[in-house]
Amino acid sequence: MSTHNHEHHISTAGQLWAVGTTLFILTIITVVVAKFVAIPPPFDVVTAISIALIKAFLVAAFFMNLYWDVKFNAMLLIMAVIFFLLMISITLLDTMYRNDVVPSF
Amino acid sequence: MLTAEVKPASTGTKKTLKVKRYKPSEDPKNTYLTDEKGLWAWMTTVDHKKIGLMYLGSVTFFFLVGGILALLLRTELLTPAKTFIEADTYNQFFTLHGAIMVFFVLIPSIPAALGNFVLPMQLGAKDVAFPRLNLASFYIYVIGAIFTFIALANNGLDTGWTFYTPYSTQSSSSVIWVTIGVFILGFSSILTGTNFIATIHKLRAPGITWGKLPLNLWALYATSIIQVLATPVLAITVLLLTMERALGIGIFDPALGGDPVLFQHFFWFYSHPAVYIMAVPAFGIISEVITTFSKKHIFGYWAIALSSLAIAFIGFLVWGHHMFTSGQSAVATTVFSFLTFLVGIPTGIKVLNWVATLYKGSIEMKTPMIYVFSFLFIFSIGGFTGIMLGTLSADIHLHDTYYVVAHFHYVMMGGTLISFLAGLHYWWPKMTGKMYNEFQAKVGAALIFIGFNTTFLPQFIMGSQGMPRRYYNYIDQFTIFHQTSTIGSYILGVGFLLIAYYLAKSLKSGEKAGSNPWGSRGLEWQTTSPPDFHNFDHTPVVINGPYDYHRPMEEFQLGLANEDKDH
Amino acid sequence: MANHSTSHPTHVHHHFVDSDQQFDTAKLGMWVFLVNEILFFGGLFCAYIIYRAWYPELFQMAALELNTFWGAVNTVVLIGSSLTVAMAIRSAQKDQMKGLKINLLITIGLALVFMVIKGFEYAHKFELGIFPGEYYTYEGIDHPQAAIFFSIYYMLTGVHAVHVLIGIGLIYWIYLRAKKGEFSSEYYTPVEITGLYWHLVDLIWIFLFPLLYLIE
Repeated sequence: MSTHNHEHHISTAGQLWAVGTTLFILTIITVVVAKFVAIPPPFDVVTAISIALIKAFLVAAFFMNLYWDVKFNAMLLIMAVIFFLLMISITLLDTMYRNDVVPSF
Repeated sequence: MLTAEVKPASTGTKKTLKVKRYKPSEDPKNTYLTDEKGLWAWMTTVDHKKIGLMYLGSVTFFFLVGGILALLLRTELLTPAKTFIEADTYNQFFTLHGAIMVFFVLIPSIPAALGNFVLPMQLGAKDVAFPRLNLASFYIYVIGAIFTFIALANNGLDTGWTFYTPYSTQSSSSVIWVTIGVFILGFSSILTGTNFIATIHKLRAPGITWGKLPLNLWALYATSIIQVLATPVLAITVLLLTMERALGIGIFDPALGGDPVLFQHFFWFYSHPAVYIMAVPAFGIISEVITTFSKKHIFGYWAIALSSLAIAFIGFLVWGHHMFTSGQSAVATTVFSFLTFLVGIPTGIKVLNWVATLYKGSIEMKTPMIYVFSFLFIFSIGGFTGIMLGTLSADIHLHDTYYVVAHFHYVMMGGTLISFLAGLHYWWPKMTGKMYNEFQAKVGAALIFIGFNTTFLPQFIMGSQGMPRRYYNYIDQFTIFHQTSTIGSYILGVGFLLIAYYLAKSLKSGEKAGSNPWGSRGLEWQTTSPPDFHNFDHTPVVINGPYDYHRPMEEFQLGLANEDKDH
Repeated sequence: MANHSTSHPTHVHHHFVDSDQQFDTAKLGMWVFLVNEILFFGGLFCAYIIYRAWYPELFQMAALELNTFWGAVNTVVLIGSSLTVAMAIRSAQKDQMKGLKINLLITIGLALVFMVIKGFEYAHKFELGIFPGEYYTYEGIDHPQAAIFFSIYYMLTGVHAVHVLIGIGLIYWIYLRAKKGEFSSEYYTPVEITGLYWHLVDLIWIFLFPLLYLIE
């Protein structure tokens, strides 16, 4: 995993600005879509989260340099997300299938 | 001049190094214990060995406090109703016994105390990756402890170590101080885990590939992963609980429209994996000790190494088995019960491999090995009763009875604490350079084994007959079980006192241990006892696996040839 | 890196073989720490998702109380600060010490703007009586669990704001060290790992913004 990495990757200013600009544009898109485009309920959330995921990918890959970095660091990030999803999905197995939403005590 | 073809961890490309044999001195002049003296030098040290010893001292102190509380609890339970303390005091005592033993003793015992000491040495490194962070995590641990003691002095705590809502939001005891203490303590655990992961990845001596990593380090690696992934969830849980008490945020409080079962989900998402933070490093010690005293290669190296990771992973999927009777949905209950059985598989793989390692080995019954046999017996009982508790129908009957108490003491005390003692006796000569009295140590191990089983076997019986846990009072039919259990706890107490006595005595008048009293092939034994500040006076080069007992000892004492000796 | 130079530069600690090993180790350590941060926020996101699944109508009503415009401005501000941190690292890699210092200062400035806007948002809510937890007195939302939405809101944004404050402290510390001339293209490890931390703070906000402000 620890490959030859004597020369650290240096992004050009142009690359960084391109990523930053894309992020700004995506922010505007997500606001406009949420405010002015009527998407039926489950899909409005899907759209918003998808745009957020694209933005997150850009930040992680190009600002945090994961694209050029050793694979292990990217794996760490993916692992964190997987465990987060496990936590939520298994907890939802309980909360979504209860007889009473909040059990009476 | 010898050469060895190895892969240094720092570059990952194979190369040939000039090596020569460095035989460790049997009479070291300069050791980590003598290089700097005085309290200030100890308190500001970044040496992982000293930090390990400071953890060891703190853990011992908390173990004493938690142990005395346990003896008081058992004494109170000698007779039904009041024996000598009030019910409220009893509630506080069992809460503190649980909280101290879990958060201050078991979790740091093996990773932070023994792990800190041996991890860099087993890697052939000079220190952990971030030595100053290591010292910081020790002080964070101390600050967490201070907060907990403030709570003690100020109303105490009577919620049980699990802080279940809604009682913990209403209790008049000082819940906030303890939750803040636990929050701080969590950081200590996270930072230690982070440090260990980085160290194992980046600071391995030339030649230590993943396949030559001692199993103790595989276990610590798996433990560190759990610490990093699970502990932050505990942090946010206790933070939310603190806010619940301070601001009434209502997320967990049914009176404000919240859901107390959600608290249990959050809490056990950490606290079930935390069971493996305690148990997995114990497995590492067992692997080290059992090979050394069987003089034989471990049976199923990869099976044991990977089963540690498997336990770490599956451990995250089973937390709901603590909540079978808490009102969670039937779907979740069924899934959790099924997943719980899966943990039995990697654990079983380990136990069977250890037993297979003994086969045709030349077994030496030294004290650490006696603890290993105790462990195998006790831990197996703990594991099997765990499967019973994971079975839905049985758990409805056994939940919150002494059966559960007995089960987790068989796992936590019989598993973790007994392997901690195994590790302590195993590495004691390396830490101090002194040998303890072997006969007294064997008597101590026997007392622990007998005392332990006398204490907790009766609890299985009375639990299965319906004696609920945490109760102050009980009906007459349980008297005999409670009294037997109390007598057992006194035997345990005597056993621990004996251990403390002969270990302390060995510091003063123990025989010199020599660099490698057990004839182990482990890298930590290929330097002086006690080691010097840099652990080795050379850069070790490893060509064999840590359990290759068929190879001659010289091959385990290699180091880079062309280095000047002083750094 | 065919052969390791035997000289030990001053910034390399004694237990590392060389500068590269130290850099990689520090970065790995930071990533492991970020894993822990993600799960720390993960707990709060989990509470959010579960309550949202229980009371979707509450979340739609309550989101109307949040000001999308200022939320969006703050998003742009934080992304901008991420960009300047990335530029700061680039400056350090290219030995441009002046660029490093300027970019760090702009980052701190943007972070402060973020906090000020956040402060105004909080102040506005307090005026309406939208306090966290049992101090909640607002009557504009007709839902028994309305206070819980804002508890989650305050916890998520509050914990995030604490991270921003810590980030400001760290970046200022890096700035002071840069001023003393401690960094160069040979050694900029602290700049790099502080940058990683700051990007994570940005990442969290990228998800907070649509989840809290854009659900109607």
